[in-house]
Amino acid sequence: MKRLQPQRWSSSVLSPQVRAGCRLQRRIQHGLRYQTTTTPFPVTEAEAKQPIQDLVPPPKKRSSRSAISKHSLPSPPVKAARESAKLAALHARLYLPARLPLETLARTLVDESADPNPDFNNESLATLGHDLLTQYTSEYLICTYPRLPMTVIFAAMYAYVGPKTLSAMVKEWGVELAVAPGGEVDPGHLQFKRLDPGVNPNQPLKNPNRPYENEATWRRSISSKIVYDDVFGEPVRASVDPRQQVQSADRYAAGVTPEQACSQFVRAVLGAIYLHAGRPAAKRFFEQHFISRHLNISDLFNFREPARDLSRLCARENFEPPYAKILSETGRLSRHPVFVVGIFSGKDKLGEGSGSSLLEARSRAAVASLKGWYLYSPLNVRLPNSMEEEGAAPWKPVHVDLGEVIV
Amino acid sequence: MRPSVRLLNLEVPSIHGARSLYVCSVCRHEARPRPIVARQFLRNASSANSLTEKVRRKIWGTDNPPGLKDPYGGEGVIERKFKNKHAQTVVEEETPEASQALDTAASEDAAPAADDYEPATTWEGLDRVGHLGRWFDIAPAATEVYESFQVKKKITKQGLLSLAAHQTVVELCLMHKLGKPLTSICEVVEHDQSVFKLIWKTKIVPASNGQWTAALEYPDKEAEEALVYIFEQVGGQNVAPEIEEVTQDVDVEDARSDTTDIVDMDGSKQPFFGYQRTRDNGFLSLSLDDPATKFAFLKRFSQLTGHFFPDPAVHSITTVQQVVDYVQNLAKPKPKKLAEYLANNPRYQSMPNVKVFAKRQKRSDRDEELGRKKLIEAELRARGLIE
Repeated sequence: MKRLQPQRWSSSVLSPQVRAGCRLQRRIQHGLRYQTTTTPFPVTEAEAKQPIQDLVPPPKKRSSRSAISKHSLPSPPVKAARESAKLAALHARLYLPARLPLETLARTLVDESADPNPDFNNESLATLGHDLLTQYTSEYLICTYPRLPMTVIFAAMYAYVGPKTLSAMVKEWGVELAVAPGGEVDPGHLQFKRLDPGVNPNQPLKNPNRPYENEATWRRSISSKIVYDDVFGEPVRASVDPRQQVQSADRYAAGVTPEQACSQFVRAVLGAIYLHAGRPAAKRFFEQHFISRHLNISDLFNFREPARDLSRLCARENFEPPYAKILSETGRLSRHPVFVVGIFSGKDKLGEGSGSSLLEARSRAAVASLKGWYLYSPLNVRLPNSMEEEGAAPWKPVHVDLGEVIV
Repeated sequence: MRPSVRLLNLEVPSIHGARSLYVCSVCRHEARPRPIVARQFLRNASSANSLTEKVRRKIWGTDNPPGLKDPYGGEGVIERKFKNKHAQTVVEEETPEASQALDTAASEDAAPAADDYEPATTWEGLDRVGHLGRWFDIAPAATEVYESFQVKKKITKQGLLSLAAHQTVVELCLMHKLGKPLTSICEVVEHDQSVFKLIWKTKIVPASNGQWTAALEYPDKEAEEALVYIFEQVGGQNVAPEIEEVTQDVDVEDARSDTTDIVDMDGSKQPFFGYQRTRDNGFLSLSLDDPATKFAFLKRFSQLTGHFFPDPAVHSITTVQQVVDYVQNLAKPKPKKLAEYLANNPRYQSMPNVKVFAKRQKRSDRDEELGRKKLIEAELRARGLIE
């Protein structure tokens, strides 16, 4: 498997003092991927425990900025990060690696709407963090549940790394939101420009790349969502056309919602960990804070006609056509009868369900059968990103099913 | 039955007129107006129109029955006293028929008016009291200049405090010995240098019985005579010339040689002529149990050092040592504030998640930390409420 190196791209992230050109150049660099044979980040434990002072030269003093008052800056100065008790407390609370300096943590707390300068906001870190998050989560979901329908995968992705989840995590982490961004604000607060009152934050977004975008009443298929929409199956905000990015300074002039700012912050933290402490630390952070959250995937299903879906599924998989049998019943003539119905394919029982009527019991049994199929999870799941480690065992292809039944 | 004064006061308000006198609710209830028959018995038995008097007259069949005028002995002691007191203060409130006696008393008190008295209609020609304006331009008289009893600058050095205590002890011992009033030593604000040297050379050997008279140990007989002679003059009019006569034979150069380099060139400005420490510490164990001695000691000591002794401190002091200790405790630096202590504590300095503020954090600081302050100020400025 090819290793991806974010070295050139990350140079502007690691050294905020360097003005790495405008956003346009960075966007072009973003598209380039470089192949390398060496890993730029520590992979061994001893290397990872090395303090940051030995590896990163101390940040140079910005002489031009020292004379400027704090109130004229759009975001807190870099040197304020060392004086903030809240930032140090957050660093310790999240158990972040020592190689991640407080200055970078302070930078992850500055949203793009607060400071449009890409050298001082968290936009680049959040982009990296978002890619990592979605990659790790989708790998985990697809490899753990190889037969999940696409809609359930979208829902599970949203539940694991969606903006609502990320903003809830920010609340759990104890990060306070600043009222307004500025140089005098404590760097331990999440800073972003809030939406003006009266602005609707839920305006429908339009993606110009998508065909028939203006046909509001047309159905949007799952396949088109996979192609055109984001990882949650929701319309993306805009394209990343560099010609349009020039006006991005006023893109956030109206401000962002706290939810957007919080999710950007969490993504930026993961990106910062990846850049400063390396891939193992980022994976550990992902496991400890994201995958460890409990999500009952069987609740995400929503079947309209489970019996029909099940018969189609059996036909697709060359099983015998399913049929329902009453396994037991009680009180048929009473006010509260209970029927237990099993669905069989040949001699194999696919599922069983109980209900107060025969139809209800049959559809419940069909749902149970379908969930039993879709929620299959192989033993000893191995994720593709385990191949990034040194000395990994040879990769055996994982089983990924065809997906849901299309009726 | 003779009713009490208070009830009397309520029932016959025209006589005493002390409405403000407190009457408890029970008594007030008792003193309510009653049917006439019942009220007649409550009246003062000594009055001429009382029921008993009427019955008495009826029995004897004459207006002047034999026997005592008032068989009950007239008004009681308290009533008489009460009446006299009120006659002087409350005059005008009394109704005319009830205050005949009071009127006479008041007329005796009033001073007879002069015949040529003419009430003034304007302020012109009246005597002036004080300065009506521009009094601050008038130069102060010699009597109006304030001179502090104590020295102007407080003495805090330990050696100088011991010197002051030693000098005070020596002076008071001499005053004890001469039988003079102890506090009269305070009239001598500062001794001549030669006299001070004699005092300085004198040792204190506290006797076992704590007597101040026998505690002095002079360097020689001559010094003893000189000191006794000097202190006999204390309290008199002319002290300084006598001192000079007596102390001519004292060798000044000798005194200089004792203190050598400690004494400055102009020793006059320095307290205690540049002497820095006492020769012995025997005076510290002297007892201050005698209140007169304690008072005299503290007065003289505070005159010499400039320190004030509050009453609780005076009460707890029993020896000279305690006096010196008390003054030295005053001179100690103030205890540090907790914030300074925490800010200088290396333990908290090394903790990155602990921040110690030197100042109290107020709501505006919190606002600034959250970035809210600039919004508030901008809004206030927009409304013209702040500049």
